Amino acid sequence: MFSQLWGSMTEEFKPTWEDVAHSHGRKIYNFAYRLTGNPDDAADLVQEVLLRVRKGLPSYQPGSFDGWLWRITRNAFLDGVRKKQRRPESALPEGDHTMLGSSPSPDEVLASVRLSDDVQGALLKLPYEFREAVVLCDVVGLTYDEISEAADVPVGTVRSRIHRGRKMLREMLTWPV
Amino acid sequence: MARLIPGYEERGELFSAYLDGELTRDEVALVGEILDGDEGAIAEFHAIREIRAKVRLLPELEVPAALLPDGHLGDRLSAYLDGELVTMEYRRVTRHLVDCPECRAELAELDRARIAVRSLPGVDTGMTGEIPVLAVLPDRRRRRGLVVGGIAATAAAAVLVLGVTLGGGDAPVYSLDDLAARHVARASAEPASSVLPAMIEVSAP
Repeated sequence: MFSQLWGSMTEEFKPTWEDVAHSHGRKIYNFAYRLTGNPDDAADLVQEVLLRVRKGLPSYQPGSFDGWLWRITRNAFLDGVRKKQRRPESALPEGDHTMLGSSPSPDEVLASVRLSDDVQGALLKLPYEFREAVVLCDVVGLTYDEISEAADVPVGTVRSRIHRGRKMLREMLTWPV
Repeated sequence: MARLIPGYEERGELFSAYLDGELTRDEVALVGEILDGDEGAIAEFHAIREIRAKVRLLPELEVPAALLPDGHLGDRLSAYLDGELVTMEYRRVTRHLVDCPECRAELAELDRARIAVRSLPGVDTGMTGEIPVLAVLPDRRRRRGLVVGGIAATAAAAVLVLGVTLGGGDAPVYSLDDLAARHVARASAEPASSVLPAMIEVSAP
């Protein structure tokens, strides 16, 4: 994988922020979208992370690139949440909110789309630490070690959060027979 | 009753880590032992596998192209100039403009074109109210007349745009605050007044 390659790279082969944007932009966007259900927040996060990557790359020491990047991503996400809590918005921002878990009329949405909505809706109901662990594992595709580094918690905690998150999802979702 | 597994809160946690490929060889063997003949454990294993698959099958969304380094703003530039972007989108566009000289140059050109079109003198038809000829023309002729008029207006605008583009100087440097202030000014400005100084100089024909 690209990032694994970077992990063993020397200083002169450090990626540029444009490389990071192209290799990880989509993952960062999906991470934020699955955590928030909101395309505007997801787009904001991508921009913020890329700015931080650009600032941080000169001092980045080649090592676990994913760990470094996802720690930045997670911190940027949490900073954004804190900002919003300090200055709550009165209404949802403009944009496509069809993935928020609303209940669309039966004739307009296919079963597969409803399934995605249900899963997305259930994800949004998970407490943050469980949602984050499940999304980083199942949506982003990080290993437990990488999640541990990004979230700054022991691997055992990651393992427990992922399992408990999945268990809560299972309890929340009722599937049509 | 579920057996106790050292290091794990419950067997489901072991199954979950097994599905994620996070177990040692010994732990994998342990999973095999637990599942052997225990229907309750097998059902739990399948349930975890099913929910894991459902999350993993969520569609992967495309990141909006304008967020990536060579993605540009396209038709959002005109909306930006016209003060038609909502807050979140406006902020993203402004940020992109700070970092993207190509979009800034395109914005400047669009602004020149916009001002040039808005600066066109009004035509005195010598008539008041409805234009009677259009009212009696058959639909097809009326449409053709409108198309010809549209082409003429577009051509006039294109000449003006070319003129100002060729006369353009060095691209100015913007800051986020600078762009934000100009955007606000743009949204409230009278038609044909420039909020991108040092770039636009439309001389009267």
